[in-house]
Amino acid sequence: MTKKIFRLIVIAVFTCSIILAGCSTSKSSQNNDNNEVSPKDELVLAFGSEPETGFDPATGWGRYGSPLFQSTLLKRDDKLNIVNDLATSYEVNDDGKVWTVKLRDDVKFSDAEPLTAEDVKFTFDTAANNGSIVDLNGLEKVEAVDSTTVKFTLKEARSTFVNNLVATGIVPKHAYGENYAENPVGSGPFQLVQWDKGQQIIVKENPEYYGKKPYFKKVTFVFLNEDSAFAAAQAGTVDLAYIPAAFSKQNVTGMKLEAVKTVDNRGIVFPYVKSGNFTEDGLPIGNDVTADSAIRHAINIAMDRKALIEGILEGYGSPAYTSVDGLPWWNPDTVIEDADADGARKLLEEAGWKDTDGDGILEKDNIKAEFTLYYVADDAIRQSLAISVADMMKPLGIHIKVESGSWDIIGQKMYSEAVLMGWGSHDPHEMYNIYGGANAGVDYYNTGFYKNDTVDGYFKQALQAKSEAEANEFWQKAQWDGTTGLSAKGDAPWAWLVNIDHLYLMKEDLDIGEQRIHVHGHGWPATDNIVDWKWSK
Amino acid sequence: MIPSLKVRNKEESRFFLNRRQRKFITSILSAILLVTVVVVGVLLDEERIATNLITRNLAPSLDHPFGTDWLGRDMFARTIMGLSLSVGVGLIGAIGSTSIALILGMAAATMGKVADRLISWLIDLFLSVPHLVTLILIAFTFGGGFKGIVIGLMLTHWPSLARVIRAEVMQIRSAEYVQISRQMGKSKWWIAVHHILPHLTPQILIGFMLMFPHVILHESAVTFIGLGLSPHEPAIGIILSESMKYLSAGMWWLAFFPGLCLLLIVQAFDRIGENFRLLMDPTKSND
Repeated sequence: MTKKIFRLIVIAVFTCSIILAGCSTSKSSQNNDNNEVSPKDELVLAFGSEPETGFDPATGWGRYGSPLFQSTLLKRDDKLNIVNDLATSYEVNDDGKVWTVKLRDDVKFSDAEPLTAEDVKFTFDTAANNGSIVDLNGLEKVEAVDSTTVKFTLKEARSTFVNNLVATGIVPKHAYGENYAENPVGSGPFQLVQWDKGQQIIVKENPEYYGKKPYFKKVTFVFLNEDSAFAAAQAGTVDLAYIPAAFSKQNVTGMKLEAVKTVDNRGIVFPYVKSGNFTEDGLPIGNDVTADSAIRHAINIAMDRKALIEGILEGYGSPAYTSVDGLPWWNPDTVIEDADADGARKLLEEAGWKDTDGDGILEKDNIKAEFTLYYVADDAIRQSLAISVADMMKPLGIHIKVESGSWDIIGQKMYSEAVLMGWGSHDPHEMYNIYGGANAGVDYYNTGFYKNDTVDGYFKQALQAKSEAEANEFWQKAQWDGTTGLSAKGDAPWAWLVNIDHLYLMKEDLDIGEQRIHVHGHGWPATDNIVDWKWSK
Repeated sequence: MIPSLKVRNKEESRFFLNRRQRKFITSILSAILLVTVVVVGVLLDEERIATNLITRNLAPSLDHPFGTDWLGRDMFARTIMGLSLSVGVGLIGAIGSTSIALILGMAAATMGKVADRLISWLIDLFLSVPHLVTLILIAFTFGGGFKGIVIGLMLTHWPSLARVIRAEVMQIRSAEYVQISRQMGKSKWWIAVHHILPHLTPQILIGFMLMFPHVILHESAVTFIGLGLSPHEPAIGIILSESMKYLSAGMWWLAFFPGLCLLLIVQAFDRIGENFRLLMDPTKSND
C-alpha cells in the first residue's frame, strides 16, 4: 500500500515538474520574441562577465565602467579629465591631507529621498570597513560638515585619492542593508528592474536622475560566453556584443565592428630578486635567472610585439611598454625598439651568458637560462601569448617552460616564477601598486619584489603632489627619468607585451559615442558613457 | 541455396585465408598502426609544433596535411603527439587498472567471506556511479594534471574486470585438480601461482586490451572538459575542445582530423582486443 502511494507521489512530482518546465521555457521564448522587435528606446547588450558580487560600490561595483545605479562625486569625461558629478567643487588643503568636497543640493536617490553629505560619509565608511578591493587604506576619517559639505582627512598626502572620488558610487544610508548588492538604490542614470543570476540584468531609466537623461529607457545586459555572444549577434537578438579577436574576420550583416583602444594590457612579470628568501607563508621568493637584468632586457628587446598583435589579436591591439600606455601619466620615452634579436643576443653575450654544452640553451655560472612562465588556464589569449613568447625566445637560447594553472596555483608560484598578467586602470595609483617597493608580495601587486629607491622616491612625490598635472610629471619620471625607471629602458621588471583592443559588434546605426581608452575587462568599460549612446538615425 | 553457398566459398578462397588468418592479419596491422603512432609521436621534435604566426589557420595542404591552428602550429604533428600521449596515458592507466583488478579479484575469491563481501561491495559501489563522474572526482582530488588523470584512470576502470577475475578464480578453485593439489599439501601461494594464475592469463590480457580504448576515450573526455593537462599540451581532448571555438569560424579541419584519428586508434585497439578474444577462446577460435 505504502509502495503504491509512494509511486503516486513520484508520478505526481514528475508531472508537475514537466508542466512547470514547460511554463518556464515558453516564458523565455516569449522574452526572445520581445527582443527581436525591441522598440527604439530599448537596448540589449551581450557581455561576458557578470558582476557576481552584485552592485554594491562599497565592495567594488563600478570600478570598471559606469556604476549605472549610483553616481559618483567626480567623474572623468571622454578625454579622461576629471569633472564634477555629484560635487560642485572640491579643494585640497596645503599639506594635501584634507579634501573638502561641496555637493549639489538637488540630488535625489531613485526612491525620491535626497542625497546628503551623510550618505557620502556613510559610503566611504562602509567601503573602508569592508576591506574589499576598494583601496581606502590612506583614508583616516570622513566628516559631514553640513548637508552639502564633506571633509576627507587622509593619513598622508595622496594625489591619487581623487580616483576614489571618481570610482566610488554613493549609496543611500537609509536604504543600505545586507541585500543592497542585489537591490541597489542610488542616484545614477538607471535603476535595476530585475537580475536573473547567471543570465541577465535589466535596467530602466531612473526618473530622479539629475544629469543628462539616457536616450535608452531600458537596457538589458545578457551574460553570454564568447561563442554565444557572437551567435546572438549573428542572429540579431542583441544590439551590441563583445567579441574576441578570433571572430573579427567574419562579417555579420547589419552589424559593424568597433575596436576600442585600451590599457587592458598583458605582460610578463619577472621575479626581480635572487632566490633564497621565503614569504611569511613559506612561498619561495625570487628566481636566479630572471634576477639577471640582461635576461629581462633581452626578452624585452627581442620580443616582436607587432607579430603578437598581428598573429594573436588579428591586428586589434597596440604594443605595450608600460602598464599605463596612452594615459595622461604615461611617459612616451618608454617606447623601445623591439623585435631586435641580434641586439638581445649581444646583450646576453656581454652579460656572460654562453651556450657551452651545445643544447641550445645559454648558461652562466652553471645556471641554465630557463624559467617557467605561468598563465591562467582558461584564457585563450594569455595561452597564445605565453606559447608564442616562449617560441620567440627559443632562438635566443632562453628556454621558457610554459605552464598553466588556476589563480590559486599561480598564487603559490608567482613570487618565484614569471607570470603572464594583465592590468589597466584609469587610476595612476595602480602603477604604484604594481611597482612600488612597499607593495612587494602584497596580493597580486608587485609579485616580482621589484624595488628601486629612485622610483619609490618619484612615487612619493607623485602621491604628495597637489594637482594631477604635477603628479603626472612624477609618474612619468618614475617610468624613465633619463637614467633609471621602471620601464624596459630602466630596470625592466616586466616585459609588457600588448594592449588588447576591445572589440564590439553592434547594430550599424548604434552610436556609442566617443569611447575613452578602456581599462582592464571586456564589456563593462564600454558603459562609461552609456548615457550618450543613441541611434544615429 | 546451393549456388549461393558456392559463391561464398569462392569469394573466401580468393584470398586463400580463413577467418582465423584474416583476424590475425588485421590484428597485426592494427598493432603496427598503434606502434607507429606512438613511436612517431615520441620521436617528433617539439619544433614541429612551434608557433608560426605567419602560417596561421591554413586549410589542409601537402605541407600541413591536417592544416594549422590559430597559432600556426602544424595540426598533423599535434594530433600525432596527442595520440601518442593518449596511448601512453592509456597504457599506464590500463596496466594500473588491470593490476588492481587482478589483486582484488584474486583476494575476493581466495581470502574468505569477509574479504569477498567487502570487495564485491566495492565493485558494486564503483559500478553504480558512472566512470566519468568518479574519474573527475578522483582527478580533481589529486589536483588535476597528468598525475591526477593517470591515478583517476587507474582507480576507475578495474571493477568489471575484477568481477570477471573473481568469478574465474572461484571456478578454478573448486576444480578437482586444485582440490587434489590442496589435499596433497601444496600451499595456497603455490596453488595460486601454478594453478590459478596461468588460467587467468587470457582473461587478463583480453580485459587489458578491451580496457584500453575505454581509458583513452575517458582521458580525452577529461582533458576535453579542461580538467587534465595544461591547455597548451598536445592532448587529443584538449585539441578537440579548442577546435570547438573555431568551428563557427569554418575551420573544420581542427576538429575533423584529430577526431577521426582518435576514432581510428580506439577502433584499432578494440579490433585487436576482440580478435585476441576470438583467437584465444577455444570455443570460438574455429568459427
